[in-house]
Amino acid sequence: MHLTQDLELFPEQSVTQLLFRDVKNCAELRKMAVEGQIAGALINPSMVLDPFQSLLAANKAVHLEKTGKMKTRSLYSEIIFSLSPTNNISEAFKRFGISDNDNAVLVVLVHNRGDILNMDDIVSKVDGQQIPADQISTLCEVAKIKKLYKLTPQEEKCGSVLDAVVCRMAAKDVV
Amino acid sequence: MAHMQPSENKPAVSQYLQEALLVKQGAEARVYRGRFLGKSAIIKERFPKLYRHPSLDEKLTRRRTAQEVRSILRCRKAGINAPVVYFVDYTTNCIFLEEITDSLTVREHIASAQASGQNVEALFGLADRIGQILAKMHDEDVVHGDLTTSNMLLVSDGDGRAGKLVLIDFGLSYISALPEDKGVDMYVLEKAFLSTHPNTEALFERLLKSYTASSKKAPAVIKKLDEVRLRGRKRSMVG
Repeated sequence: MHLTQDLELFPEQSVTQLLFRDVKNCAELRKMAVEGQIAGALINPSMVLDPFQSLLAANKAVHLEKTGKMKTRSLYSEIIFSLSPTNNISEAFKRFGISDNDNAVLVVLVHNRGDILNMDDIVSKVDGQQIPADQISTLCEVAKIKKLYKLTPQEEKCGSVLDAVVCRMAAKDVV
Repeated sequence: MAHMQPSENKPAVSQYLQEALLVKQGAEARVYRGRFLGKSAIIKERFPKLYRHPSLDEKLTRRRTAQEVRSILRCRKAGINAPVVYFVDYTTNCIFLEEITDSLTVREHIASAQASGQNVEALFGLADRIGQILAKMHDEDVVHGDLTTSNMLLVSDGDGRAGKLVLIDFGLSYISALPEDKGVDMYVLEKAFLSTHPNTEALFERLLKSYTASSKKAPAVIKKLDEVRLRGRKRSMVG
């Protein structure tokens, strides 16, 4: 159901993703996240095409935290910021974080490898249906993603939309 | 006096690279293959150059890393195939890229075609495609900086036939609109081409023809190419 990936660059850490649809309490969840009651990043699944995209964001955020170069104030907000193609932090939170009237949420957790996670804690907080995290493509809105990441029509000839998104996430700091 | 750092303080990427497989070592960078977030990736590490002054080395290495990433993105946006960039570590100047599997360099392709006795005309289609891609790249004002047939990959398309053409190694690339810079880019390719693949003058000429037909800015670039050819070593000093 959930997806866990070890971070090869950070041998003690892993990333776990949980996906929920038909969520009725996004407003409450968002408030909990802002107050620091949820130890995870709450992401709007309509902006994520594939678990690889959120994994990359988590990897980059952990790297920036370890090198002391985060642009935001916490690891979880940095994960959300890393998804964005621009350097405007509030815009990133608005577009990639969850809003009060959303009805789905992707939860990304960073934890020690081998930890037996108490996911029930998170699952119990979400008033919605948990679905396999690798089904995120069923919740994404490709047209919205293409527009926000400013994909060009020629670019789609050399690769998938995911390729284009991944490149922009990686190149954000130098463009 | 610098103190010795315990290995726990080494950057995460450096420790990771110790376990990865070194594929190639060049003058500028080392190339590794490894697993990254569940995928097979290529890691290009621009290691510190001890022969340079440290502050110059730091600036230059970081600039080259950034330029490489920028050029790849610019090319992809224009529809030119280049490897996807997954992650860049600016503390160790490592670029994590998509691994392109099932491919042959254009160098290997031409060499094997010649070895199997095919005549040059059989490669004209390839020359046409290369000319078109380079025209597109220069029209985007991306100068590759190291155009050789080893830096162009032919990826087999499912049926084992030569499919798309991918440009790699943008390490010396930069953004420039100047015909002189583009002319030099083509000159570098010409020199590399003719020295690596003997008796292929007709092939390169075909490439240039395709380039000229595909780019509106080509005449200025070709003019500069002709001028650059007249410079250089062992040139007749007849004015």
